[in-house]
Amino acid sequence: MQSPHNRSFTSATQAYSMPFWGIGCVALVLFLFSCSSIRPSHRETPLVEESAIPPRYSIVCIIHGDGGYLYHDLHGNEYRADEEALGRVTTVAAQNPQAEVFIFHERRRRHALLFFPLRDGKFYYYRNGQLLAEEDYWRDKGESRSDPEVDLYNRFRAEERPGLVRLFLYFGHEIPEFGGAGYDASYKNQTFTVDDLAGGLERITRDSTKFDLIVLSTCFNGTPYTIAALAPYARYIIASPGNLHLSYFDLNPFERLDVRLRDGDVSAFANKFARQAFDRLISDVQTEVTVAVYDVGRVQGFLHSIDSVYDHTLTTLKGETPASLEHCDCAEDPAYVLPGMSDGVDLFYRPPLFGRSKHKQSHSGWECWRHLK
Amino acid sequence: MKARTILGVIGMMFVLVQSGIAGGSGDIQKYFNDTACKVKATAEPSQKREILNSSLQIMSKTLDKVQGSLLISKEDRASINRFKAALQEKQDELTGSNGYERVSDTQLNAFSDYVVQDMEQASKTITVTVLTAILIAVIAILLIAR
Repeated sequence: MQSPHNRSFTSATQAYSMPFWGIGCVALVLFLFSCSSIRPSHRETPLVEESAIPPRYSIVCIIHGDGGYLYHDLHGNEYRADEEALGRVTTVAAQNPQAEVFIFHERRRRHALLFFPLRDGKFYYYRNGQLLAEEDYWRDKGESRSDPEVDLYNRFRAEERPGLVRLFLYFGHEIPEFGGAGYDASYKNQTFTVDDLAGGLERITRDSTKFDLIVLSTCFNGTPYTIAALAPYARYIIASPGNLHLSYFDLNPFERLDVRLRDGDVSAFANKFARQAFDRLISDVQTEVTVAVYDVGRVQGFLHSIDSVYDHTLTTLKGETPASLEHCDCAEDPAYVLPGMSDGVDLFYRPPLFGRSKHKQSHSGWECWRHLK
Repeated sequence: MKARTILGVIGMMFVLVQSGIAGGSGDIQKYFNDTACKVKATAEPSQKREILNSSLQIMSKTLDKVQGSLLISKEDRASINRFKAALQEKQDELTGSNGYERVSDTQLNAFSDYVVQDMEQASKTITVTVLTAILIAVIAILLIAR
């Protein structure tokens, strides 16, 4: 028989134990959800219904959002560059009835109840203008950084048809040529460099087919090293040798590729895209605007002639602190001013409207490194 | 006013910690975006110039104080140094000193946009730790509130 003391103790503990059990169950469910290895895949329509029309165009798009991507328009309104890019790319995907589009949004890691990590990658797959799959994924699963995305690409890609036009778009901060720690705010000890990107592209292109066009919507990736690293995987590359405002490139030309790229002339398309991106940027921003189109076949001569010079520079710089280095036009270093420097480079350039460089009237189309003066 | 300032500081610290600022430059961008909005809202060039100058000076003073803190890492100190140098260049251009041509009255709105946009590039932006970002925000608020 329970004593009065035990009875009151039991009833008191019962009164407190119920809410604790409830909270514990909720926490356990959230924990199991966040740890789950089962990928919750959400398909809008069965893929088998769409496979009757093989795509003519394939667009792979990576949008990096794990960092500082805030910007403002001229009216002071705030935007996140990755969210804006995502909106534009999904419009491109929905407006292309003959394309398959893979969108990878790399987001900052968040936690449920402060402790339980949530999936930090979001994947969208469109085919023929329809969203067929939308899936959250873990960005840090796999031996290499590109494993989750290559895996998703291989799971969903349509069977290739002859004459498929392949496009790759990257949106984010400058992809480092060395070091690369802290590129992802959520994974400060992990590194991401141009070589990592090239490795991912190699796995996607697999059997030595190239992307017809790679667009790097980043700052300072129009460099000899970056273009040389990506050259095996592309016929044309669009990049900014200088600064690029976070409002990025205008993607309007990618809508209705069946109309705009009907003739398959990727070179003309790339130039038109670069011109349109340039025109939009110079109407909005006061900072420097450079957009370069690199014909990979035609720039190889120049790249071969300076690769040992640039490699030596990089080797020297790897031991320096980033704060002691800055980018510069390669034309400011006589070692790079060689015949053929401009071959294969179509450049759209406008200097900043303020600052020390406002009187710099031209740019070589290639960006290099130097020590801060 | 003091109570509101303290509440603003506490609120800012809470938001900064909760949002886990990546890079720490977001609030500095917002600060200069506010400056640009105030510049454009004013018709008088002398007032525009004063708003810009004051804003650049407050941020410079803030960074001086943050740099003086023993809590700041070597990497953050280097980042802040670069940022301070960039701010000084803008002040010099605004006033026409150190070899710069003075920003004309008709260009003050555009210059205020330039100050904001120069921080909003897709490069490896100035990155500071959360602690440093909090210190910058707190000191900036306190300096503005004076």
